Amino acid sequence: MDAWEYSPAEDLDLSLVERLRRFPREPDMFVYGVRVACAALMRLWLRLYHRLGVHGLEHLPPRGPYVIVANHASHLDAACIVSALRLSMVHRVFPAAAQDYFFVNLPRLALAAVAINALPFNRELNVRQSISLCRHLLDNEAAGNVLILFPEGSRSTNGVVGPFKPGVGLLVAGTDLPVVPCHVHGAGAAWPKGRWWPRPGRVSLHLGPPRTYAHLPRGRANCEAIAGDLRQAVVALGATAANADVADGQGETA
Amino acid sequence: MSPAAALESEIFRFYAATILGLLVLAGLVLLIVRWRARAAADHAWRAYLGWLVIVPAVLGAIFLGRLATIALLTLVALAGFKEFARATGLYRDWLMTSVVYAGIVAIGIVCAVDDPTLLTPGWYGLFVALPAFVIAAILMVPIVRNRATGQLQLMALAIVGFVYIGWMFGHLTFLVNARNAYGYLLFLVFAVALNDVAAFTFGRLFGRRPLRSSISPHKTWEGACGALAVSMVLPWALWFSLPDFTPRELILTGLIVGIGGQLGDLSISVIKRDIGIKDTGALLRGHGGILDRIDSLIYTAPLFFHMAGYFHDMQ
Repeated sequence: MDAWEYSPAEDLDLSLVERLRRFPREPDMFVYGVRVACAALMRLWLRLYHRLGVHGLEHLPPRGPYVIVANHASHLDAACIVSALRLSMVHRVFPAAAQDYFFVNLPRLALAAVAINALPFNRELNVRQSISLCRHLLDNEAAGNVLILFPEGSRSTNGVVGPFKPGVGLLVAGTDLPVVPCHVHGAGAAWPKGRWWPRPGRVSLHLGPPRTYAHLPRGRANCEAIAGDLRQAVVALGATAANADVADGQGETA
Repeated sequence: MSPAAALESEIFRFYAATILGLLVLAGLVLLIVRWRARAAADHAWRAYLGWLVIVPAVLGAIFLGRLATIALLTLVALAGFKEFARATGLYRDWLMTSVVYAGIVAIGIVCAVDDPTLLTPGWYGLFVALPAFVIAAILMVPIVRNRATGQLQLMALAIVGFVYIGWMFGHLTFLVNARNAYGYLLFLVFAVALNDVAAFTFGRLFGRRPLRSSISPHKTWEGACGALAVSMVLPWALWFSLPDFTPRELILTGLIVGIGGQLGDLSISVIKRDIGIKDTGALLRGHGGILDRIDSLIYTAPLFFHMAGYFHDMQ
């Protein structure tokens, strides 16, 4: 009789904190349970406190893998996008989060790895390695993972969408991965960088039609072109969001 | 069991004082050893820090009462099974793992509720019958999924996980319902821990001949015999905490703890060696995982329970 083949967890001899810090994380039913509870509470909070509105959900591909690219002005951004997707997808949606900010101390680590299901993105030293981590996540067709990227690389403080880093181009150039542009409107005003606690401002999410870049082979110029194209798409969504906001405001005062 | 009853119980007071006293004494000795030879005592020091968590948790739960003890031991069983599932790879099958988790929680509930006909605390009949139901549920999983490939291994692992960690260890939990709950629980936990320490110490001092060379290279016949000797004496020394036991039962208790403790240790080693891992987890620094800590209790608790139950009316 053949011996059984066991496949112990890869992080068997690590402590809980070390386990949360590594990526990809091994499945853990307790973490999953806490994450679902957090996701449900987050949805309730965003709907009630920020009156979260989601527009253009029909543009999302029916199943993963795909990438959502958004502007970044607030910690609320990732929470809003995750909350716009189905609750059953919560363990398959990975917002990329700055490793040097979220994966350093225990409270932030718990928030990032457990509640948000973040992918540790090393934006300073190992961008290429982080990109290949992202690619690994998206290569798994069966899992149907969704990656949320903020290609500005940091939260914008002045309300203007900053330049997109070409890393996002490196990830999607020459592949038929759908990239969904997304503009989060109002999050920066509700919870700007440097504030302790969010104000109860209205937040809305605008999704655009997905783009693919199979026709552009990987290369520096193409990567920058893709980053520029995506930024333009996000900014355009932002303009419609602002208009809708104005229209909404007039409707309310009238 | 309640805080008031614990304070009133001579048995609880004795064990609490003895165990806390030993903890303080061991801490002082270790501090001196560490001061003299830092590196040599490093491992022992980390193990000691682990004890500093375990002892207050267990004594605290027993002091608080029956439900707190059941809750703590159920949590320990859940964490132990989690380690087992992660070590064997069973954890990748969420449904199989969920069934076993549910079974372990059911053990805790059955220990907590009253028997519906006899109205005594703890539903003993269902407790003994529970493996049949949980195994039936485990066998159903592949059928519900309409899947056969690789299912025997998953079912076997789940059944071992439940019977071994959930049900056998659950006997310790059910002891909270005994009339002499303080005596049984505290004696067993204390005797098994002392048996482990004795095996380690005698092995270190006199160990030469390997006990089971292909299973656990560091365990020796000398360590095992030393531990057995200590465990045979201990029930006599602590007779007051097992007041209804006759000498025959004291001898049996010594044999169960002395031999069963070693066998429990070795049986976890068999599992670890077959999988090819060193520790079952990293929850308790210096102790390996939870399973490495409770392995002897898993083996001895049901044997002690049924021996005591055969000779005495537990309730």
